[in-house]
Amino acid sequence: MTHSDDPEDVDPNQARERTKLAWTRTAIAFAAVGGAVLKTNIIAGAVVLALAPLIWLTGRMARGGNSGRARPSELRLITLAIIAVALVVLVIALTGHKPGFHPPAHVQG
Amino acid sequence: MSGPPDEPDGGQPGSSAPPAGAPAGTEPDARFTFANERTFLAWSRTALALVVAGLGIVQLLPPFPGVPWGRHLIGVPLILLGAFVAAAGYGEWVRHQRALRTGAPIPRSVLLPMVLTVTITCIALLSAIVLLISAIR
Repeated sequence: MTHSDDPEDVDPNQARERTKLAWTRTAIAFAAVGGAVLKTNIIAGAVVLALAPLIWLTGRMARGGNSGRARPSELRLITLAIIAVALVVLVIALTGHKPGFHPPAHVQG
Repeated sequence: MSGPPDEPDGGQPGSSAPPAGAPAGTEPDARFTFANERTFLAWSRTALALVVAGLGIVQLLPPFPGVPWGRHLIGVPLILLGAFVAAAGYGEWVRHQRALRTGAPIPRSVLLPMVLTVTITCIALLSAIVLLISAIR
């Protein structure tokens, strides 16, 4: 592994940069889910939407000392957040209805 | 998770002592840790995409004529799959990080790709059936 073509070997900072961007994408994905939930259930949507900047912050914390050390607790938190969001969405999907949206009688379901 | 909280060669001078229950082995190259973390984040986004896809199908799609339960049949498994993928992605991260620390070969993931493939295949077949039924009606 002396002179590979991997740019990370030339500049290890790129690995950190790419990881930071991955956290940003994940936060944006949370925001997207929040936006979709918002359409159905405003309160739940707002909660999920509020999670997005927290995810982003968590990513920054996880890399706070830019030590590159693994931080399982942060990642576990993200996992639990996603599972919680999935359960909320499941409840909304099973029981939810769009406020102000009443499907015509012949297309109910 | 398991293993003695020791650092055989005292890898990080000056760093705080590893917390109770710290994994065995030595701290791997930071680039590997970063790469493993990005993989975890990619699984997380996959999970979120599955959840939002399921919600979109249930809430935004017009109902299938003649198949009133059609949208739930397609959407709910997607949401459940999203929850599973999030948990399994974390499990993968733990296993990979342990392998990186101990220098063992990266374990092959079997469960996650298999469940993902089987579930998506089943959902695709279900969608086809629902579409067919609603077309026949």
